[in-house]
Amino acid sequence: MNRLKTRWIIFGGLFLIVTLSYLTNIRFKSVASPEIQKSYDYLDSLPEGSVIMVSFDHEASSLPEIQPLALVVLRHAFKNNLKIIGVSLFAEGTAIGYRLLSQTAREYDKTYGVDYVFLGFKPQQISAILGMGESIAHVFPEDYLGTPTDEIPIMMNIVNYDQIEMVISIADGALAVHWIEYVGGQYHQNIMTALTAAMITTYDPYLASGQLYSVIGGLKGAAEYENLLGQPGGGNRGMLAQTSAHVYVIVLIVIGNILYFRGRKNGKA
Amino acid sequence: MQQRLPIAVCFIAGALMFLQYFSPHPVARAVFVTINDYWQIIFAFTLLVGIAAFVRTNLRQISRGKEAPYRLIGLAGLVLMPVLAVFGGIKIESPFQWAFENMLAPMQATVFSLLAFFVASASFRGFRARNAQAVILLAAALVVLIGRVPITEMISDTFPKITFWVQNYPSMAARRGILIGIGLGSMTTALRVILGIERTYLRGE
Amino acid sequence: MDIGLIIAGVLTLAIYTFLYKDNPIYKAAESLLIGLSIGYALVIYWQTTLVDRLLTPLFARGELLMIIPLVLGLLMFTRFSNRLSWLSRIPIALMIGAGAGVAIPAMLYARTLKQISASVMPLMDGGGFNVEALVVIVGLLSTLAYFYFSREHKGAMGITAKIGTYFLMIFFGATFGYTVMSRMSTFIGRIDFLLTDFLRILA
Repeated sequence: MNRLKTRWIIFGGLFLIVTLSYLTNIRFKSVASPEIQKSYDYLDSLPEGSVIMVSFDHEASSLPEIQPLALVVLRHAFKNNLKIIGVSLFAEGTAIGYRLLSQTAREYDKTYGVDYVFLGFKPQQISAILGMGESIAHVFPEDYLGTPTDEIPIMMNIVNYDQIEMVISIADGALAVHWIEYVGGQYHQNIMTALTAAMITTYDPYLASGQLYSVIGGLKGAAEYENLLGQPGGGNRGMLAQTSAHVYVIVLIVIGNILYFRGRKNGKA
Repeated sequence: MQQRLPIAVCFIAGALMFLQYFSPHPVARAVFVTINDYWQIIFAFTLLVGIAAFVRTNLRQISRGKEAPYRLIGLAGLVLMPVLAVFGGIKIESPFQWAFENMLAPMQATVFSLLAFFVASASFRGFRARNAQAVILLAAALVVLIGRVPITEMISDTFPKITFWVQNYPSMAARRGILIGIGLGSMTTALRVILGIERTYLRGE
Repeated sequence: MDIGLIIAGVLTLAIYTFLYKDNPIYKAAESLLIGLSIGYALVIYWQTTLVDRLLTPLFARGELLMIIPLVLGLLMFTRFSNRLSWLSRIPIALMIGAGAGVAIPAMLYARTLKQISASVMPLMDGGGFNVEALVVIVGLLSTLAYFYFSREHKGAMGITAKIGTYFLMIFFGATFGYTVMSRMSTFIGRIDFLLTDFLRILA
């Protein structure tokens, strides 16, 4: 069998397995892992009216994985009447952050400018996040839609990170590292992240050292959080397909190794 | 002049931004804010330069007849977004946001999702237990793949426990080693840049 | 059906045609994606940075000092001229210098000292023997030994570096596992869109 045919079989197999698993619509109950429980408990413990900053530090490419993660954070915050300042340090995260924040705010009947605000995007992440340590209104003189920041009610008592309980970076790359190293380091700000699964191991040392408060990781993390919230969503819907895809990859690894060892044995003989 | 002026600018900006870390004095904070503002604004101009280069290259290729239809589509896409923003704004119900949500974001996410297929293919072709290191690599990957799905959690909570142990201790230790190495390397390079020893950024016109 | 969903669905399928092989439909979609991405970034940068950080302060509020970053920014365009391109090094030098300046304390404190302290401290407190802390210390030191190239990897150094490779393989393996998880999640998200929103097979 030539390489191209093998490739198409592998691709076709994945397409079929994920599609069929998804169509069955079977749901699992994901048990909350310690990290998810810690994140949930923290947001749950904040008094009503506390201000958190949610930074959409991701691109559109990871949206399918990021969206369930972002939604659990936003829903939990709005459910507990926390106030949200939304920013973005990736250009593509801007339109996504704006959409998710507006959509979730509508679900909970929140008012723009009073319960939440979206300040938009600023380039050069390190410069932007360090600048906010001095003055958020200086870095963001206007919100995303052009309203002067100092005229927005939610921003009237906010100068810098001192008035913000937690920064939650929703990230698909190393951007949250800047929050940890620069804002955590220089301004001693609490940092939490919601990460794509691929980035989880990158952040483990910061988690172990306490520089990072907690991580909500991957679609599985989103599913666990959804269960804690009592609002199953994209994370839960994807769990059977996720499991099937893992099994498929494991089977491919096993077959690949069997063929490899058989080939080696025949070669030696 | 062509070398000395940039090196001097780099030294001054670098030294001031380093020293401000230690001072809460208003002058130090003002200097920090000013340089920070310049840094951000200049960075935005770099994107404009990139766009100008993109347009120039594409127009040249079109005039030479190289893949002209595709390049025209690219340029049309580039023009479309600013036109939509100018005439319809960027609010939630604007055509600009609509184009982002229905054209850009789905395509971007789909391109990225192609990686799922290549990862599956790579697992079949490249993940071979050739030696001790490869066996360990394979075992660690399997521990994560098995331990982070709900079915194994339902069978026994030992599966996720093993995954978290591997992740939190041996895996984290290696990552920490890499992190400290990068930290020391970045620090040294930053110092060399500020002192004008490292000048690679001056190369290239 | 919403026209936006139809466009999004068709474009999604156009990208997936690449799985068969490279073809004109994929290439057209890819070109459109590149153009849209750049056009989008242009709008966002213009609206949220150049207007509110530069043009409004300079022209609407008369903050004349903002001419400095404007001139520095415009110098970037000298890269298109053979004779004047050296001038673009000035704004680049400012950005690189500023980045280097803020990086030193961050790298020293947050990346190096904090990480070393987090490795050593668990060994010291608690009183009892801590297997996990020992694993971390052994893993950390052996990984660092592997990346230490100023001495030949022979004898005790060679053995330590070899142990380091085992720890690195555990990290790479775990990262691979999570990467598979992540990529599959992205694909599942697209399948969700196709089945639920586009084809409406699932309500």
